[in-house]
Amino acid sequence: MNQRIIYPTDEGGVAVIVPAPECGLTIEEIAAKDVPQGKPYKIVDVAAIPTDRLFRGAWTYVEDE
Amino acid sequence: MPVKLNSTGGGSVTLTTPSTATDYTATFPANTGNVVTTGSSAVVTPAMLSTGAPSWDGSSNLSFNSGYGSVANAYGCRAWVNFNGDGTIAIRGSAGVASLTDNGTGQYTINLSFTMPDSNYAVVGSAGSTNNAIGDRQLSTYPVNTTSCKVVSGQTASTNVYDATQVHVAIFR
Repeated sequence: MNQRIIYPTDEGGVAVIVPAPECGLTIEEIAAKDVPQGKPYKIVDVAAIPTDRLFRGAWTYVEDE
Repeated sequence: MPVKLNSTGGGSVTLTTPSTATDYTATFPANTGNVVTTGSSAVVTPAMLSTGAPSWDGSSNLSFNSGYGSVANAYGCRAWVNFNGDGTIAIRGSAGVASLTDNGTGQYTINLSFTMPDSNYAVVGSAGSTNNAIGDRQLSTYPVNTTSCKVVSGQTASTNVYDATQVHVAIFR
């Protein structure tokens, strides 16, 4: 599955959910189950997630993009 | 009264409850196959099988000997995951896991695809930064609730969190 789910953390950062291959759930079902209640979230392509994690703590969730 | 099943396919014979409470013996041919019981009260106990054979009790607990020296309940791995926690975070292999949440550097949440009966299960794991480095990462694990647990990767020589390329976690209860 080449998609990821992102949502803002309580600390102002961003969490990235990676679906498990062959888990039998759709990305929407995983979002409904694993995104904390009440959090906004987006489903994005894996290519949208930076691979350089040197400043991982500085990643933020942008609502409008 | 002998009963002969179709030799070219499967078949079934239904045994009705005897009117007298006593044991009856059913003899099966030596051909390869499984004996399947149905019904909510179907139970196969060690007493029904050869000594030490795997069996289930009325609560669906599986027990076997398998070289341990005695027959005891088996407690299986409920879920496991092998993932890359650095670069492009990705799950290499898993079972019983719906997803993995990357919460930040070295901090991951494992989201189960089922609900545990309680949060007192055991989470065990290991972490490494490369495929052959020894002792360069340590992993802390703890259950969060009945559907997820957290793992935190740190560097052995410090108290800081660090990403790990090899993170392996198994959950038992």
